[in-house]
Amino acid sequence: MTERIGIDTGGTFTDFVHLKDGAVVIRKTATTPDDQSRAVGEGVRLLGAGEAAAIAHGATTATNALLEHRGARCALVTTRGFRNVLAIRRQNRPALYALSQRRPPPLVPEDLRFEVTERVAADGSILTPLDEREVAKLGETLQRLDVAGVAIVFLFSFLYPEHERKAAEILKEYLPDARFSLSADILPEYREYERTAATVVNVYVQPIVARYLDRLERAVTPRRVRIMQSNGGVIGTKQAARRSARLVLSGPAGGVVGAFRLAGTALGEKAPKILTLDMGGTSTDVALCPGEIPRTAESAIAGLPLRLPSVDIHTVGAGGGSIAHADTAGVLHVGPESAGAVPGPACYGRGGDTPTVTDANVTLGRILPDRFLGGDFALDAGAAQNAVEKLGRSLGLSLRQTALGIVRIANASMERALRRVSVERGYDPKDYTLVPFGGAGPLHACELADALSVRRILLPPQPGVLSALGLLMADIVYDTSVSAPDDTTGLEALYAQETERILNVFAGEDGGQPAIETLADMRYRGQSYELTVPMDPANPERARERFHEQHARRYGYDMRDAVVEIVTLRVRGTAAGAEVVLPQDTDRAGASETSGAAQVGETPVVLDSGEGVMTALYDRDRLRFGHAFDGPAVVAQYDATVFVPPSWHVEVDAWRNLHFSGM
Amino acid sequence: MDPILLELYRHRFSGVAEEMGVTLQRTSYSPNIKERLDFSCAVFDSYGGMVAQAAHIPVHLGAMPRSLEAALDAIDMWRPGDTVILNDPYAGGTHLPDITMISPVFVADRLVFFAASRAHHADVGGMSPGSLPLSGELYQEGVIIPPVKWRSEGRLAADLEKLVLRNVRTPEERRGDLAAQQAAHSVAETRLAALIDRHGAAEVEAYAAHLPVWSERLLREHIRQWPDGVFRFEDTLEIAPGEAPNGEEAVIRVAVRIEGDGVTFDFEGTSPAVSGSLNAVLPITESACYYAVRCLAASDIPMNAGCFAPVRVTAPPGCLVHAGPPHAVSAGNVETSQRIVDAVFGALAQAMPARVSAAGQGTMNNLTIGGSRADGSPYAYYETIGGGMGASAGADGLSGVHVHMSNTLNTPVEALEMTFPFRIETYALRRGSGGAGERRGGDGLVRAYRLLRPATVTVISERRETPPWGLQGGAPGTCGRNTLVRPGGKEETLPAKFSRRLEAGDVLRIETPGGGGWGKG
Repeated sequence: MTERIGIDTGGTFTDFVHLKDGAVVIRKTATTPDDQSRAVGEGVRLLGAGEAAAIAHGATTATNALLEHRGARCALVTTRGFRNVLAIRRQNRPALYALSQRRPPPLVPEDLRFEVTERVAADGSILTPLDEREVAKLGETLQRLDVAGVAIVFLFSFLYPEHERKAAEILKEYLPDARFSLSADILPEYREYERTAATVVNVYVQPIVARYLDRLERAVTPRRVRIMQSNGGVIGTKQAARRSARLVLSGPAGGVVGAFRLAGTALGEKAPKILTLDMGGTSTDVALCPGEIPRTAESAIAGLPLRLPSVDIHTVGAGGGSIAHADTAGVLHVGPESAGAVPGPACYGRGGDTPTVTDANVTLGRILPDRFLGGDFALDAGAAQNAVEKLGRSLGLSLRQTALGIVRIANASMERALRRVSVERGYDPKDYTLVPFGGAGPLHACELADALSVRRILLPPQPGVLSALGLLMADIVYDTSVSAPDDTTGLEALYAQETERILNVFAGEDGGQPAIETLADMRYRGQSYELTVPMDPANPERARERFHEQHARRYGYDMRDAVVEIVTLRVRGTAAGAEVVLPQDTDRAGASETSGAAQVGETPVVLDSGEGVMTALYDRDRLRFGHAFDGPAVVAQYDATVFVPPSWHVEVDAWRNLHFSGM
Repeated sequence: MDPILLELYRHRFSGVAEEMGVTLQRTSYSPNIKERLDFSCAVFDSYGGMVAQAAHIPVHLGAMPRSLEAALDAIDMWRPGDTVILNDPYAGGTHLPDITMISPVFVADRLVFFAASRAHHADVGGMSPGSLPLSGELYQEGVIIPPVKWRSEGRLAADLEKLVLRNVRTPEERRGDLAAQQAAHSVAETRLAALIDRHGAAEVEAYAAHLPVWSERLLREHIRQWPDGVFRFEDTLEIAPGEAPNGEEAVIRVAVRIEGDGVTFDFEGTSPAVSGSLNAVLPITESACYYAVRCLAASDIPMNAGCFAPVRVTAPPGCLVHAGPPHAVSAGNVETSQRIVDAVFGALAQAMPARVSAAGQGTMNNLTIGGSRADGSPYAYYETIGGGMGASAGADGLSGVHVHMSNTLNTPVEALEMTFPFRIETYALRRGSGGAGERRGGDGLVRAYRLLRPATVTVISERRETPPWGLQGGAPGTCGRNTLVRPGGKEETLPAKFSRRLEAGDVLRIETPGGGGWGKG
């Protein structure tokens, strides 16, 4: 079996999951923010990885460059009359009711936005040929302006890409070292602002990503590295450097892939139906996997729309660090402000004195101050209580009531997020297993499950490194999209063309023969939003049928006699990552050993009802295959704390996952 | 009431209104709704009190409760499965393209809530395509629908549907949009029933009643911090000599009285209603005032009936901002509403100079193009164009955005050209149009349309002669301009409001106003 390493770079820690000879080794090292590849290279060396080890890496370089506005100096070239489409955006202001507003400046400043004479019509015909002399003159100008990249976005280039290609060809003579992104390559779909945004994002992060990947490869050479993309699949560094815009939403993708794969094994289903809950310090990511990893082409980052395939994740601004406060009418609120890492929650003892969700959990006995991060980082329970108590006094509430209120309101935000991805899209949470991870997810999982009528929860052995595990298990994925013609012959020709493109990419990826999937974005003629359904290009009728079904599921009705249009054809190549066999216990513990072997004591906890009780305290490291217990209970482990309310029963499986079932 | 449950119910009810909005947007047909988000959804209690609203358009703020009121007046008996429809500006509506639907939500045979939605439909008939005509009386503006049952106990009133659809230019599109509104209501019904199922009707209804009390308290707390006093201002709309046979003027005068924790907006002295379509019905005037209050208070106060309680709006019946039948009103919603806001902020700036921004573009630059495609099929296209936002002590004004009462998105050039027989030649920032000052006003936009086939073009715009004012010494923004460019290149300046037939090859160029500057530069 291949030796594999999943490496997830986070803000504070770089997580490693190393799978070799059927054993898993986990390692955390401090992230090296100035050059993340140093921590990666160092970690790989310390793990003693073999030269043939396959590395899958989740990098934040592209995301950070975008969020921190640290991308490359780039130029934008557009059709005459349209250079400010990037600045105008969609003409709406960010806030409805504010008399003083700011927006982040466009990624390409005004003096680097240029126009050239050319125009293509809505049917793809040429109205005005490209003025090549003008382009050449622009080339001279750009030479003087010292740009690292050029984005070229012409109107209707998704129907007629030749003008963009010709312009790039001419400009390259003047700018041999610059990187070029053409909108017809990056996002060949209609809506000029969205296409411009994606193309500009690509060229803006590209030089930085390319430099990083270069350093990364040197740091781990001769091992092969693949990079996580927003779509939940990994891809080789060459493609990752070329299509950098496809990396910017990759951060939370690894966790969803990890949860999905782990659930597949633990539940014994190839296509598990799960809801993921990744609760961190400032925000929580949720996703619904209806037997597959969900993908969407409608995402946004840093105020920019990004219509490229990404794992369909919904984020809310509620996390362990969210601050609780009272308004002038005496009503309790939680967030959206967060205490961050510094000063952090009051219990961190770093000078924070405003109560956070974490402080509420400490107050309720659900986080054990002396077992936080395995006891490496002792929490100040007194400080947590003082902060919560002070807030409670201003509301006329007891300490307990206040702490419970904070938890319940934080849960309401997360519940709304979970509803948005499930109920609001026609999926019944009852049919789903909740998979919580991240440091705080396991604390809130049972109460959220109760609110949504979810009956099953699956808690991974190491909820804190699930993203790194997901990287190691991810498939190799390369996807393309094209604006679709109406006729079937045209579809088949496009399908053939895109398939060939994908096969060529995989030939260079050394990833084996990919499975080819086709999807279509469809809508009723006259609508503006599409639903994506699987499609056999030779039989689009079947896809139309699926579209009606999905429309009915999502919106409550369909229109069988209306014309269904195919707007975009999406083709995806997937090569399955090698089968990953996780280590498992072979001997099943007897039920009698249950509480004895793993219980390390008792601890007081406040239940949702407000009642304080003594509960069993379990050490996760001692829980073995076959162990079982009922709530109320608290399970302590290195990277998370688990609270099990009454009416939940827990069993440990062979991979040491905890299976919760509602009683 | 429990301060924790209150916050939980805020999440729950606003979640329902938001989800209604997502459904409506995703399934509608009018570009106004699906691309530009010109719609609102709301939940009301059984007495017509607003519990939650997801509004993308401030002009719907105070107007939705008036629709409920009108429907409650008109309908004696509500039954499960009913839906009432209306657009009559003199019975719960604002202008005819905004069609409101209202459905009762029954739980165990008891009326508990109402779900309501309002959306701007692309055409409702009348004298010009897009139904925002230069009209002289309401009857010219389209089909007038008083509050009537569109569905009774789940059955569509098919005859009524036939009648309405026969009176509009694009009946299939209307049918789809109305179905989308209905779909949004179904979502509300399901969600509210589930809430009651889970938490019990007593608790759910109790908190629906507590929420407005909470909002009112928060809002009064804010207003109490405003300086007491009476602050006056006046601003004017533009009427061309041809539009005012009797030399009418359209001046909006307001006295804002801040007293303790309440505020009154009194429009005594405003010009009488005019012969054109600039007249506003009172709900529009109320919306404009609620909007201004919300901008100055915290915008995170839960949106419900409590946000209206501390605010009183009075205007003499029959005046420009409290028009009565049969006056035409199509532009009252889109243009007069903007000037009401300007007048109100002009007054509030005297009370709170550091917190109020200079005038923004003060118009929505309404453009309607109607005609037929090469295959003979008719079309009606409507859009509005952003401009400069006024500068404030804290920031320059944003450029190329909608200000105040609108916040609709643009229609992508590519979406538009694939559907309609015209072409956009330029879509650009109008540099230098924002007023100078310590903080600059935002710049307007330039958008030029080349017609590929003859069409009727209607423009209703403002601030073509009276520029958006600056504050505290800031310069005014540049006025907007409408220009016709003939195929030979000959240019002709067009009035602020016109409706005329243009030929293939003609180019209409609209330059929108810049925002006013703030502070001496």
